[in-house]
Amino acid sequence: MIRKTSAFIATTLLVASMAACSSSSTPNAPSSSGPAVDDKVTVGVIAILDVAPIYLGRDKGIFHKHGIELTMQQAQGGAAIVPAVVSGQYQFGFSNVVSLLLAKSQNVPIKAVANGNNSTGSTSADFGGLFVKDPNIKSPKDLVGKKVATNTLKNIVDTTVKAIVAKDGGDASKVNFVELAFPNMAPALDAGNVDAIFVVEPFLSAAKAKGWKQIGSYADVDPNLCVALYFTSTQLMTQKPDLVKRFTDAMKESLAYAQTHPDEARAELTTYTTIKADDTKNLILPKWPGDIDKTSIDKLAGLAVTYGLLTSKPDLTTLLP
Amino acid sequence: MTQAIAKGRTGAPPVLLGAAGLVAFVGLFEVLPRVGILPEAYFPTASTIGRTMATLVTESSFWVSFGETVQTWALGLAIAVAAGIVLGVVIGTVPVLRAATASTIEFLRPIPSVALIPLVIVLVGTDMESTLILVVYASFWQMLIQVLYGVADVDPVARETALSYRLGPWDRIRYLVFPTALPYALTGVRLAASVALILAVTGELVIGSPGLGHDIETANSSNSIPRVYALIVVTGLIGLAANLVARAVERYALAWHPSVRADVPA
Repeated sequence: MIRKTSAFIATTLLVASMAACSSSSTPNAPSSSGPAVDDKVTVGVIAILDVAPIYLGRDKGIFHKHGIELTMQQAQGGAAIVPAVVSGQYQFGFSNVVSLLLAKSQNVPIKAVANGNNSTGSTSADFGGLFVKDPNIKSPKDLVGKKVATNTLKNIVDTTVKAIVAKDGGDASKVNFVELAFPNMAPALDAGNVDAIFVVEPFLSAAKAKGWKQIGSYADVDPNLCVALYFTSTQLMTQKPDLVKRFTDAMKESLAYAQTHPDEARAELTTYTTIKADDTKNLILPKWPGDIDKTSIDKLAGLAVTYGLLTSKPDLTTLLP
Repeated sequence: MTQAIAKGRTGAPPVLLGAAGLVAFVGLFEVLPRVGILPEAYFPTASTIGRTMATLVTESSFWVSFGETVQTWALGLAIAVAAGIVLGVVIGTVPVLRAATASTIEFLRPIPSVALIPLVIVLVGTDMESTLILVVYASFWQMLIQVLYGVADVDPVARETALSYRLGPWDRIRYLVFPTALPYALTGVRLAASVALILAVTGELVIGSPGLGHDIETANSSNSIPRVYALIVVTGLIGLAANLVARAVERYALAWHPSVRADVPA
């Protein structure tokens, strides 16, 4: 009997070790032909459209050219990425601007190193937009007293919605927000649990396909609104300034490449998301400028103070490069 | 025994009944979205889910994730079972230890593993190790409690007989504690196996460590609803397989035990 039981435990361990062997390593940069060995760098990202340029840059060998071997770690959101970057588990991370402003206001030692993505500037064709189903809601100010879905409370999406309502002359403080993940928003609006949803691609295309009316977008806050940034820890910034500079350069180049090759950016989406190739053709891609739009970040910081996310406007020079 | 009763009452073998139940369930999931009782956009039909699974199994990345989830699960389970047996026997056989640890165990045991997620992200990061900690934490208690009960269940007459025959500590564990605790321990393994799978997938979903749970989240944020369902079904099948294996082991290792022997009334 002892033998039988120990055989079972041995089998369990064997299965575990076999599984350990079978997990293959993450695909990385193209075969190295340069003289020096590439610096291995891990970047914490979210598996959404916004980060297509970094994947494209890796696959096009742009990072390799700058001596960087990239590994992308898909995290579930900024809440997991920021601590991992600060602890050095990731060298760089991707996060939305408001999350970074909030982190900076709590003296989290981080520094932005490259632009992430921006609004397209078109209020009717942006990658993030506000949708309603009820035909009686005609403009954003009608959302006063209504329930609006946001992916995170006190972050970039509800700040954007408040700014859209205020711009239309409504009292933004009287909009009620419900926290819902982007994938759950359309079903909630369908069922009438909320009155409006703010979704990003690919859910924006799905909302449009439903025939729901769009009454706002990121572009309403600022036509060049900077939505997200790539950042690092201040520790890495001081310890390896050369590596950080090479990352920034490679990122700028990747952003420019993605901006000028939208078809390749769309094709890249199928490599790290499960969006079907056909569906990527109709998605609205964000804008990927190489430089950080400081004016719009300043505006967001101001809105964050107005809506009580921050007590005072942070010194942006400590966050931005 | 229970099988004999089931057969006697209905006249149909339980395997057929189980299959009929499954077919009915799948059929319901095919019909309800089709007739519009469930919105098809959010509840794909069973055949759509089946087709998605068929393409899923042809993708190499799926099998990588599958391996990662099974690895986290099996490794976590093995650690929890080993630790649960060793600590359970030690604590269970030493009354002083049992009294000293009882309140601590009762305090730590009910803490839901998922409540530790923020902690492990900060302490360990977002790799497989974080999920592994959750798996071990959750399944360890299942195992430990069963082993403790098993060790405590030794028949007093048998214990005194063993003492009269001056059995040494090792022989007492071998001939007294082991046969008594084995059925409990195997139940513990079965319970721990399903809890470990729940936590493996939860950890991957919430923390983002690689595996099927992470793939569910990726498919979800890509609005690939049939794929989400297909992956969920796969995790369910893993759980089913784990349970079947655990039951088979139980039947094999406890062939002598009245609860398994059909010919002897319990």
